[in-house]
Amino acid sequence: MKQTFYALLRYAMAYKPLLLEAFALLLLATAASVAGPYLIKVFIDEYVTPGIWTVGPIATLAVVYIVAQLIGAATFYWQALRFNRIALNVVQTIREQVFAHVMKLPMAYFDRTSTGSLISRITNDTEAIKDLYVNVISTFVQNTVRIIGILIAMAVLDVRLVWIGAILVPTVIVIMVIYQRLSTPIFMRVRSLLSDINARLNEGIQGMSVIQLTNQQQAFARAFQTTSTDHYDAKVKNVTIDGFLLRALIDFIYTLLLAALLFGFGIIELSAQGAVEVGVIYAFVNYMGQVTEPLVDMTSRLNMAQQALVSASRVFELLREPYAELAEERQPLTSRRIDFAIERFSYDGKQDVLRDIQLQVQPGEFIGLVGHTGSGKSTLMSLLMGFYPLQHGHIRIGDTDLMTLGKQQRAELIGFVQQDPFIFSGTVADNIRLELDLTDADVEQAARRAHLHEAIMAMPEGYQTPLAERGGNLSTGQRQLLSLARTLARQPDILILDEATANIDSHTEALIQQTLMELRGKVTLIAIAHRLSTVMEADNLVVLHQGHIQQQGTHRQLMAQEGLYKHMYELQQRADPFSA
Amino acid sequence: MAQTEFGVSVFLKLFWFFRQEWRRYGIAVAALIGVGLVTMVPPWLVGVIVDLISNEQLTEALLWRYLGLMIAAAAVAYVLRVVWRIALFGASYKLANQLRQSVFEHLTRQAPGFFQRLKTGDLMARSTNDIQAVEMTAGEAVLALFDGAFTGIIVLIVMTVFISWPLTLLALIPWPIVGFFMWRFGNELHASFRDAQARFSDLNDDVQESISALRLTRAFGREEVEEQQFNQIATAANRANQAVAKTDSKYDPVIQLGVGFSFLLSVAGGAWFIHQGELTVGQLLSFTLYLGYMIWPMFAVGWLLNMVERGSAAYARIEQLLNMQPEIADTGTVTERLQPSLEISVPAFAYADGTQALENIHLALPAGQLLGIVGPVGAGKTTLLNLLLRSEEAEGVDIRIGGHSVQALTLHNLRAHIATVPQNAFLFSATIAENIALAKPDATQAEIEAVAKVAQVHDDILRFAKGYQTEVGERGVTLSGGQKQRISIARALLLDAPILILDDALSAVDVRTEQQILTHLSRARAGKTTLIVCHRLSAVENADHIIVLDKGRLLESGTHPQLLKTAGWYRQTYDYQQLEQAVEEGR
Repeated sequence: MKQTFYALLRYAMAYKPLLLEAFALLLLATAASVAGPYLIKVFIDEYVTPGIWTVGPIATLAVVYIVAQLIGAATFYWQALRFNRIALNVVQTIREQVFAHVMKLPMAYFDRTSTGSLISRITNDTEAIKDLYVNVISTFVQNTVRIIGILIAMAVLDVRLVWIGAILVPTVIVIMVIYQRLSTPIFMRVRSLLSDINARLNEGIQGMSVIQLTNQQQAFARAFQTTSTDHYDAKVKNVTIDGFLLRALIDFIYTLLLAALLFGFGIIELSAQGAVEVGVIYAFVNYMGQVTEPLVDMTSRLNMAQQALVSASRVFELLREPYAELAEERQPLTSRRIDFAIERFSYDGKQDVLRDIQLQVQPGEFIGLVGHTGSGKSTLMSLLMGFYPLQHGHIRIGDTDLMTLGKQQRAELIGFVQQDPFIFSGTVADNIRLELDLTDADVEQAARRAHLHEAIMAMPEGYQTPLAERGGNLSTGQRQLLSLARTLARQPDILILDEATANIDSHTEALIQQTLMELRGKVTLIAIAHRLSTVMEADNLVVLHQGHIQQQGTHRQLMAQEGLYKHMYELQQRADPFSA
Repeated sequence: MAQTEFGVSVFLKLFWFFRQEWRRYGIAVAALIGVGLVTMVPPWLVGVIVDLISNEQLTEALLWRYLGLMIAAAAVAYVLRVVWRIALFGASYKLANQLRQSVFEHLTRQAPGFFQRLKTGDLMARSTNDIQAVEMTAGEAVLALFDGAFTGIIVLIVMTVFISWPLTLLALIPWPIVGFFMWRFGNELHASFRDAQARFSDLNDDVQESISALRLTRAFGREEVEEQQFNQIATAANRANQAVAKTDSKYDPVIQLGVGFSFLLSVAGGAWFIHQGELTVGQLLSFTLYLGYMIWPMFAVGWLLNMVERGSAAYARIEQLLNMQPEIADTGTVTERLQPSLEISVPAFAYADGTQALENIHLALPAGQLLGIVGPVGAGKTTLLNLLLRSEEAEGVDIRIGGHSVQALTLHNLRAHIATVPQNAFLFSATIAENIALAKPDATQAEIEAVAKVAQVHDDILRFAKGYQTEVGERGVTLSGGQKQRISIARALLLDAPILILDDALSAVDVRTEQQILTHLSRARAGKTTLIVCHRLSAVENADHIIVLDKGRLLESGTHPQLLKTAGWYRQTYDYQQLEQAVEEGR
């Protein structure tokens, strides 16, 4: 926890000049606000008590007071702005770092981490750090400086009684420590019980039919009651600790010290040491009141700090997640030939998803990858995209290992038409163009090549039609064609097409087939097809089964054999009787 | 105006709770009033002592007496403060606890239609955020009302009546101005806070989008583009938060100025009155201390209105939820065990939105038989089961178990007759053993293992390090769809109910396992009725009777060999699945 805290503070050190400025302003603000009671003390002791009513000096005093108040308010505002700016900049820095880090993490990380918790790391947890900075750290700094300022003022006024003010601080620190010891575990328990309550509720709602069908309503209601009541008990315990230790106790101590202060003044007055000035009493009493509030404030913010530190440590944990730096440098390529030589590949290190894949793809060749769901087609293409590192075997382009290609070079070389293409919110043109600097004519040409132009022109605003989130206003087929257009706009040498689903409409299928025919010979084509008719014309059909190549050949060759491909083809000639 | 009416009404609506917890509230309110009165003492005494000092009349005895009084007042205030906090907040937490339980119990009485209409998120929001808002109304708002408003009035009385009313008026001059600024900042803050929240949700959306689009990003080498976009949004979020901070930072200085000028005016005015001989220095000191006590009540009023507004909206939503009546009335009276024979007669059934789901289905199944129900998607298979389970009901539909209409049975007894394995196996966050023993918590380990063996999941379970004690769900292991289905089957088998329904519950297990389960099942369920809905016909090959539904009508019926001969949908599907099987096996 301590390390996390220091790590967080280190981020703020990047803003040294601003930090110094903020501190200087804070000191000025504190001095100005502490001066107020002192000036009133002067007024009481030098003018009111002796009964001297000279307008000139009194007016000067009033003006000084007003100026001090104004300066105090202004500088306090400015320092708050600066501290906030530092805090928010730190949070932005952390956010950018985390995001950049996440973007570099290996694909396998995303397979095993739920998207929800990852998003929460980047947003909610960093938001908690923001709260820590804005509400806890800056409050602590401001309050500490203010307390020191007040103690100094007290010492200046009457050094004999400053100990009374000084007692309050260590006492409150002791209370804070005790409070934190007692309350943190309960506070954590309250939070964890609250999340249990939410989990039970959520589960209860989602599994209600099971609960009802098994007549377990009462049992679940009882279990819920137990959790909810435990939560209640913990909260009562928490409020009891708050009740005994927080404001009530600090107020009590304050009144005791007030009494001690008056006692001190009384004793000084009664002893022959000399008269006490009433103004001094006024100022002391006033200062004492001002010390209490920041102390209560700080104590009650401790729990929040604890929670935020937990979030912060989760963020730092994510930042420590290892990643492999991708190659940046371009490699000279001897040819565009693809050479797969994969001994075996597995996602989890236990179950092989691919084994013994030996396959050469000549430049300009058209390859069809077919096979049942789970046969390894998409995995093979993920490897060609470099999504996963290959430990046993290699994939080469020409004579160069795929993994040594520069990131940008690989992206330009290989175009990937995804199975479930991602649609960004924006217009149709934006979605084809993405970050590339393409003219409208280029965009249109890409759309024409993907046979999407007609469909786009039929949309209300043509290329400027805004697309709904996730492309809700496009059909599955149109989304796939859009993905195709987007990839073609990049003019890759190698084009991978992962056909959406077996349920793609025949119109789209015909369009895709047409595109493929037009591209044939110009680029290397590797198409994963659910509908065999899409790839019937391929130069080479590769039939995968359980991770290995079971058959290979042209459609005509494969149909001549009694085997997997022929059966798949026959199956597709019939309609699935279940899909109504 | 409407707002205050709204506000009062939530206190009236919660009156039942105040009455229920009258002791706690009585104690809390009495203690709060006590605190208000007792805290008036120390400032008063400060004034008295100061006057004694400045008039040089102070004696040691007097000093001791007044300080003794002051310490006593402080001690009483401490005790009362502890008391009200525990009493008042304890009561408000109790309200939350009570409401939460009523909501949960209420949910357990609702039919499936209810959960389709109201989204999980909405129900969750009502039972968490809304209850929290009501809790604040019953706690913090009551505090603001009594501690804030009441203290304010007492202080005002003490200041005007006992010290000086002209001085009070003078000292309070800055406060309406401060109030005006607070109101303006409040509006500003509201707008900028909304903007900051919007930017925060942009941030969420962007991260969500970036992670979803990760493959595209990698494929196109767009990492830098994504980063730039994120950084822009993070910058916008930063700027929006700066705007919030800018307004937020104005509060403290303005209050400081208000207090400062208030002090200036009271000291200046006080000096004048001292000069006139109408006030003593000690009184002036007391006065400034009292003035400090006025700050919190000023805020309490605004706070109170805000909380009450939120609380009443929240309570209205909770009430609305609690007032929804269950759609299926539990009016049956039959509680005895019946013969598991089925008579189904559905002349027509349509859903509430008008879609026709079933038509002209008539069927009788003797006790102890196995019925297979097959047909394309949307044929009405699940609807038929829902009618049997009374998850849906309609006029004219007559479904009988052992000669009794399902409406005549109590819901509890009806459910006790039927064990269902639903389409989507749902497991709770508990151990595997607890999940299997869901409906029979007192089941022995032997019983649990016996059904797990029938469901062919025993070996899978033993492969986990903790076996049957393995935790399932978010904090535990992730199970495959097939494992979940088989655990769900074991759960239903443990009930040993007269009627067992497998609603497409074998879809995620392979054919070999399916056949093993069915073989064990037929042995375990001799003399009892079983209904199997499935996609794979192999699951109903041994059924005593099979019905084929299509678009809500009965298309074909008979035994497996009979149906194969009819060359209809069943035959066609059978052939298709044979070929599919071959392809799956790589033949």
